Amino acid sequence: MSADHLPEHPEFLWRNPDPKKSYDAVIVGGGGHGLATAYFLAKNHGMRNIAILEKGWLAGGNMARNTTIIRSNYLWDESAAIYEHSLKLWEILPEELDYDFLFSQRGVMNLAHTLGDVRESMRRVGANQLNGVDAEWLDPKQVKELCPILNINDNIRYPVMGATYQPRAGIAKHDHVAWAFARKCDEMGVDIIQNCEVTGFIKDGNKVTGVKTTRGNINTEKVGLCAAGHTSVLAEMAGFRIPIQSHPLQALVSELHEPVHPTVVMSNHVHVYVSQAHKGELVMGAGVDSYNGYGQRGSFHVIEEQMAAAVELFPIFARAHVLRTWGGIVDTTMDASPIVGTTPVENMFVNCGWGTGGFKGTPAAGLTFAHTIATGSPHTLNKPFGMDRFETGHLIDEHGAAAVAH
Amino acid sequence: MWLLEKQYFLMQKGRAEMGNTAQNTEVLALRRSPAHHLWTDFTVGSVAGERGVTLREVPFQRMVGIRVDPTSEVGTRIGELTGGLPLNSGDVTTGESGAAVLWLAPDEFLVVAPDDGEPGPSALVTSLLEALGDGAGQVIDLSSNRTTFELSGPSARAVLEKSCAADLHPRTIAAGTAITTEINKIPTVLFKSADETFQLFPRSSFADYLGRWLLDGMVEFAAEGTSWP
Amino acid sequence: MLLFTCPNCGPRNETEFHYGGQAHVAYPESPGELSDREWAEYLFYRENTKGLFAERWVHSAGCRKWFNMVRDTVSYEVKAVYRIGELQPETLERIASATEPEQAQPLAPAQANPTTASEGV
Ligand SMILES: Cc1cc2nc3c(=O)[nH]c(=O)nc-3n(C[C@H](O)[C@H](O)[C@H](O)COP(=O)(O)OP(=O)(O)OC[C@H]3O[C@@H](n4cnc5c(N)ncnc54)[C@H](O)[C@@H]3O)c2cc1C
Ligand SMILES: [Zn+2]
Repeated sequence: MSADHLPEHPEFLWRNPDPKKSYDAVIVGGGGHGLATAYFLAKNHGMRNIAILEKGWLAGGNMARNTTIIRSNYLWDESAAIYEHSLKLWEILPEELDYDFLFSQRGVMNLAHTLGDVRESMRRVGANQLNGVDAEWLDPKQVKELCPILNINDNIRYPVMGATYQPRAGIAKHDHVAWAFARKCDEMGVDIIQNCEVTGFIKDGNKVTGVKTTRGNINTEKVGLCAAGHTSVLAEMAGFRIPIQSHPLQALVSELHEPVHPTVVMSNHVHVYVSQAHKGELVMGAGVDSYNGYGQRGSFHVIEEQMAAAVELFPIFARAHVLRTWGGIVDTTMDASPIVGTTPVENMFVNCGWGTGGFKGTPAAGLTFAHTIATGSPHTLNKPFGMDRFETGHLIDEHGAAAVAH
Repeated sequence: MWLLEKQYFLMQKGRAEMGNTAQNTEVLALRRSPAHHLWTDFTVGSVAGERGVTLREVPFQRMVGIRVDPTSEVGTRIGELTGGLPLNSGDVTTGESGAAVLWLAPDEFLVVAPDDGEPGPSALVTSLLEALGDGAGQVIDLSSNRTTFELSGPSARAVLEKSCAADLHPRTIAAGTAITTEINKIPTVLFKSADETFQLFPRSSFADYLGRWLLDGMVEFAAEGTSWP
Repeated sequence: MLLFTCPNCGPRNETEFHYGGQAHVAYPESPGELSDREWAEYLFYRENTKGLFAERWVHSAGCRKWFNMVRDTVSYEVKAVYRIGELQPETLERIASATEPEQAQPLAPAQANPTTASEGV
């Protein structure tokens, strides 16, 4: 096939500038969180002389590897507040960014398979409702009405005993979200610099004054780390420790199918979550691989187990094929909640620890982290998520709501 | 308090009854092994011939768990009864009693002997307990903890290899070797007792599942000249 | 699927093992004297090395014993396997190249943890 027959290359949505000598702020990491942070720095805080430095290509990390589930039905007040704010931002962002990134509020179900699950789920529904998060408890019949292909019979190892349901939750197209933010950032003057790896920091005493990169040194007033799985590596360069562990997290897609799966179904107990993307592929994920890993790949038995769980819940999937599997590097914390705040280094800020579930948090992470960088102190929403909580003991344990990822 | 006393009373009563041979014989007759209900399926599912593979349950084997440092004095004492204690993974020793002693870990061993029809502690357990004395370690009758499946025949290894990731090639696992591993995620002790015979010791609660799983793996060998039934 | 070599049982599938995180983290010598910061470090802070990482594994479906392993967290290649209580090969090398070569022996389990309470957390 000659080049004449190829579709026309789409227009570039952002420039590819060379790095300037200095910026007012530098964001390390061109994933969703880095892009959203730069967007809100420019939009809410009028900071336009800023750059996003990305060692690979835009959204080449977890941003375009995730399974795109967006929801806010977390247990604790602090989490409900930040994730619900995020969901409200998702609801207005397509218009604000002037980009239809296929945000689809098709609802998310979290299945319960044991009496323990049922009790925990009902407790979470209660907590959600008190926090103004739309949440309902569904019995198996209602589950079946919303998702007819689900097997609610008693003849499986872990029968469906009900589900929590958040109607406003859903999915979006992750790469388009990145492009939407990137285009707006670029329009507001933000330099998005790809193939630019940060290799060290320039400090004056305990104050950061610049970054060393594979494209030269860059002076900056402030640095915001948005490097997800690589945050520990950067923190070490900067001279502080951060309580996260990086793990491989895998996902897979099937070939394209007619629409069969109208909502999003997650099961912490049998370890799988599934939705059907707009094009028609079944998108599936599960828990992390147990070991620490920076390899962007995991072991096949993890994939095998999640498919076994999926086929038991959705017998119709037995006829589908795996098209592709892949992995990202997720930054997990001991309480399954993110870290967004200041660091021991002056003028350096960190946003990480979103682990297996930070896609949904992209807008709120951007909003609150931008506030933290611009003003030097946290927004009310991210105040509880500082690193100091590991010393004060004010952990925000979301293992129940976040344990199987997503 | 009342409950405790009552339990104690029942225990004593039970002990007294254990001594009653007539009743013990009755109890023996009432025993059901964990894969008892699969007996017919095993018989029907077994395959004769060149690609044959046979599955059967060997019920009620006597099993004793030993935990002891094999190089200690008490380890030596116990070893005198068991033909020594195995020192490495895979090793199996056999004492005069004919019981096989399998290596489970550097300080953990499993004694396996055929059903002796004894209702109470067998002579084997008693003698091992005596050898242990008050030395550091443990001797416990674990007879009903696991059951035994015997998978034998020219295709026995092929059936296992479908779902056991450990290397079962004879260069690694010769006859007389035992390892602890997983068969389709089921924790199982695997003892290759002869060239084409594997004894599998799953915990009793897994017997039904493992039994059916192995049967499923045997189906293809029943069909002549094809790998699908 | 990774293949690990248990020091007791030899090579087995990854599924027979469970992960135990960073190795050589010593329990604090005087827990009562730790500051909140030190407690936080002991409880919640672990190395998250990109590259060679000393970590613990247990052969849960085999001999059920814990052991240590040095693994590359990028390539996942296993570089060394050694028993609980033994020094990390890298530490051994460092000691070996230092002035007192007679120390380059694995220590008895009770003394073997190479990290002190304050550096090992
Ligand atoms: C398989 C999978 C499924 C997931 N499913 C969901 C889901 O359904 N819902 C949900 O909410 N979340 C999900 N997540 C989590 C979510 O993807 C992440 O929490 C989120 O993407 C992290 O933020 P980010 O987009 O900024 O990260 P990333 O896209 O990883 O961005 C970090 C960037 O930093 C760059 N970087 C690193 N080091 C340097 C350096 N030294 N110099 C310059 N740049 C550097 C990296 O190249 C990378 O592009 C999933 C993750 C994975 C892997
Ligand atoms: Zn082992």
